[in-house]
Amino acid sequence: MEFDIKKKLDLRNVSCPMNFVKTKVALDSLQKDELLEVILDEGDAMLNVPRSVKEEGHQVVKVENMGTAFMVVIKKG
Amino acid sequence: MSEKPARELWGDLAALKKIGMVQQKQKEYFALRLRAVGGDLTSAQLRKIVEVADKYGRGELHLSTRQGIEIHNVHHTDIENARKELETAGVYMGACGPRVRIIVACPGNSTCRWGIIDTKTPAKELDSKYFREDTPHKFKLAVTGCPHNCAKATENDIGVMGAILPAWRGDACTDCGLCVSICPTNAIEKRPLPDGKSRYVLLEDKCINCSICTSSCPADSWVVEKRGYNLFIGGTMGKIPRLGTILKKLLDKPELDTLIERSLRYYQKNGRKKERFGHMLDRLGAAQVKQEILDGV
Repeated sequence: MEFDIKKKLDLRNVSCPMNFVKTKVALDSLQKDELLEVILDEGDAMLNVPRSVKEEGHQVVKVENMGTAFMVVIKKG
Repeated sequence: MSEKPARELWGDLAALKKIGMVQQKQKEYFALRLRAVGGDLTSAQLRKIVEVADKYGRGELHLSTRQGIEIHNVHHTDIENARKELETAGVYMGACGPRVRIIVACPGNSTCRWGIIDTKTPAKELDSKYFREDTPHKFKLAVTGCPHNCAKATENDIGVMGAILPAWRGDACTDCGLCVSICPTNAIEKRPLPDGKSRYVLLEDKCINCSICTSSCPADSWVVEKRGYNLFIGGTMGKIPRLGTILKKLLDKPELDTLIERSLRYYQKNGRKKERFGHMLDRLGAAQVKQEILDGV
């Protein structure tokens, strides 16, 4: 599936909760249903950010394993 | 008792240990071990503890490894008065020696986003049922809200852990792959279907029942099929560390209560002096003992 990504953020080495704060700010600048791509470290970042994104009403639509990090595509809710 | 000189307390030392009054190496002085189930105290109780430490001790408090508070350096002539004053605020003594110790618990689902179960109620129940019961060696129980295991259920003689069994509901799944990426034990496998979509399969032998998939799934495609308690027996740290052995997974509350009761009775009957529950399991054969406890022999 091809994704029309509106914005990209590399959040590797950005720790919790700043990685989520930056994700939230980026999502605020998008319209409903537009897509944000973030790169998150493995571990705590992947455990917390996708869950917080869900709690804020957005939706993770794709996750790709990049080795020690993950590329996550989020649709603004 | 409070009028007796220290040398006359020798005969009572075991009795004093039983109620959490532990003679220090400075023989005239005692450490008062207080009982706080799951580490919970009110601010009023804490103020009373501080007051007693100032009045009868040297204003010195020690946080124990089992979420309790100890008041150190209380002279033997003051221990009884100190105890009575603590009791006016609902603060009671702990335990030491070969018996059931203070029950440890994490905050559970009262405040923690990962908490699967209420930990405080079972911790209080275990406390009122078993606290201070005599056992062959010390006996420790812990209740932890989920498999993150913050209250270290696997390091206690009895460890209760909140647990869920996840199940995959394909109709809602968007095939994003998040679950495969975040499962801490790689217990979820993605299997391609002929129509280009995917099926996600739970490998139950690898699953640790933690709820990370069900909490995070963006489409709520992973759902909680069952919620219950995983029960570990025979964990200990100390001189010969041994992690707990799983007795049974995903128990309901009555089953949990029954198996804890049987485990403790089994240990009281079969354990040797100075032998922890886990070391008894290893001596008799863990598989055999597990079976006997499960069968109620």
